[in-house]
Amino acid sequence: MFFQILREAWISITAYKLRTFLTTLGIMIGVCAVVMMVAAGQTVQNTISESFESMGGNLIIIVPGQSVSGGVRTARGRPTVTFDDVESLKSLKDVVTASYIVNTTAQAVFGPNNWNVNVMGTTPDYLTVANWEIDKGVAFNERDIKSGSPYVLLGETVVEELFGMQNPVGKTIRLKNRPFTVIGTLKAKGEGLMGNDQDNLIMMPATTLRQRLRGSPRPNYADVVFVKVTEEDKMEQVANRIEYQLRARHRIKDGTDSDFTIRLMTEMVDQARNVGMILSILLAAIASISLVVGSIGIMNMMLVSVTERTREIGTRKALGAPNKWIMFQFLAESVLISFMGSFVGMVLGVVFSQIAGTFFDKDVPISIYSVIISVSVAVVVGVASGLMPAIKAMKLDPIEALRFQ
Amino acid sequence: MSPKENKIARDTPVIEVKDLCKTYFMPGGMSQNVLKNVSFVIHRGEFVAIMGHSGSGKSTLMNILGCLDRPTSGLYMISGKRVSDKSDEELAHIRGREIGFVFQNFNLLMKRSIADNVSLPLIYQNVSEKERYRRAVDMLEKVGLKGYADRLPTQISGGMQQRVAIARALINHPALIFADEPTGNLDTKTSDEIMTLFTDLNKQGITIVLVTHEDDVADYAHRMIKIMDGRVEFDGLRCRYGKEA
Repeated sequence: MFFQILREAWISITAYKLRTFLTTLGIMIGVCAVVMMVAAGQTVQNTISESFESMGGNLIIIVPGQSVSGGVRTARGRPTVTFDDVESLKSLKDVVTASYIVNTTAQAVFGPNNWNVNVMGTTPDYLTVANWEIDKGVAFNERDIKSGSPYVLLGETVVEELFGMQNPVGKTIRLKNRPFTVIGTLKAKGEGLMGNDQDNLIMMPATTLRQRLRGSPRPNYADVVFVKVTEEDKMEQVANRIEYQLRARHRIKDGTDSDFTIRLMTEMVDQARNVGMILSILLAAIASISLVVGSIGIMNMMLVSVTERTREIGTRKALGAPNKWIMFQFLAESVLISFMGSFVGMVLGVVFSQIAGTFFDKDVPISIYSVIISVSVAVVVGVASGLMPAIKAMKLDPIEALRFQ
Repeated sequence: MSPKENKIARDTPVIEVKDLCKTYFMPGGMSQNVLKNVSFVIHRGEFVAIMGHSGSGKSTLMNILGCLDRPTSGLYMISGKRVSDKSDEELAHIRGREIGFVFQNFNLLMKRSIADNVSLPLIYQNVSEKERYRRAVDMLEKVGLKGYADRLPTQISGGMQQRVAIARALINHPALIFADEPTGNLDTKTSDEIMTLFTDLNKQGITIVLVTHEDDVADYAHRMIKIMDGRVEFDGLRCRYGKEA
């Protein structure tokens, strides 16, 4: 009986090809949009995770000068954590290493080329902490930190912009009219979390940056501090130790807010993933509005169809069709329409999101959600929009239906 | 079936109606008695014309006899089975197996092939597609439409369409055929052809109940039941009508 009902439904909807196609189109567009939006959301989530991973796992980040008290944030970026503070953290239990950065921007010049870059002053440990690898040449060492040697490491973008195909190692570039020797280049990392180019970077010893580029009156303060922890499970404990250590060194009394903020990378990853997830759901919710519209389209078409085929329904009933048969036939018609629409919509959604991925140079995952979404849409929308017309058809009085002109 | 059972089956009336009443209740407490104590019996192999003017209750009677409606009171039996108190589903079951309908306006599904139309009642009895087609082709041959199975109803004339409808009515080997003004939409010549087909089918032993208001169509029937104001005004041989009383 099931197949006979399906076959009858199929014949009925294919009898009006254009009308069926137009009705299917609504669901097609809806599912296509939802699948694409889910794919977009997932891509954003993956990008966030990858970016955090490229920054290095098991990290604790200390932002100096920021304090949060009762929701009020004060004096962000006020220099409070010194290079010595950071050195002291290295000896804490379960800490692999600690590093810090100081940032500025400058115009880098080599021969006739010049390029605006982010300049980062740091320690050799930063390469370990943030998962940077040396491509050519060597990294600077502790001695360079102490002496403030004018050595720099170049990110890939800077190499391309200033040197093109040449090997930059051993060459001298100028930043703020001061000469710096290129001792190595960094392996490319690609785009960062905000779509920023992480490779548009020049790295140098922090002391060098303070002395030669900033000329800051209080030169030995870090902008951001990174602490790498041995295991993810120890993050909380290490964070507590750091807080204790720094409060002690800064002589902060009990009951007073710290002059720094400690953030765990794991928390930030979770937060960012949550944001990504909310984004996915939001996008899918917006896209599903078109599904509702498509579903109304099916209901409308089915209602018209029931009215138009009143005589047919009357005839079928007179010829022995049970009421349930009539109801299931009309229900099957709407489910078939929404099934076709959602299947084609899913395929289109996957294809379009892959095309968009190629266009934006991103890996777009083909998720199992696409299949789940389209199948559930087919059933839910099909039944929801077909039920009322089907019941209407079922309830038709055969005498009235046969008389219908 | 033993010869005795066979005889009982043969002797059981196809239709038995006793004190059939139908009252329509209208809003405001008004009611209208459309059928008043209608009683008659139709035996196997009869060709009966039910006649009556419009408003006489003829259509209501037809609907009840066709199991499309239920009587308000009274007894109605088809082939010895009481149907006056059956549920909708049971009535649909009876319609599909015991009754063949032929309508004035044919009521064919215009987008479906002639074979699909003829075999439509078999769908509801879960007959396989192949078997349905085979039986449809056989039945089309019986009504003189050999070779038309795969055409659409729109490709044939009105007379042929009514033949398709008759083939559809016959496909289940029903106990009787109800024909409601079967020639109402046909010209005289085609009407004669259709009525001759009914006569031939009746000669083969098929019980036919014809509803009409045309005398020359009713002349094909042997027996006539005339309804007037919801009552049976005349029930007897067609040739005797007008000569009695």
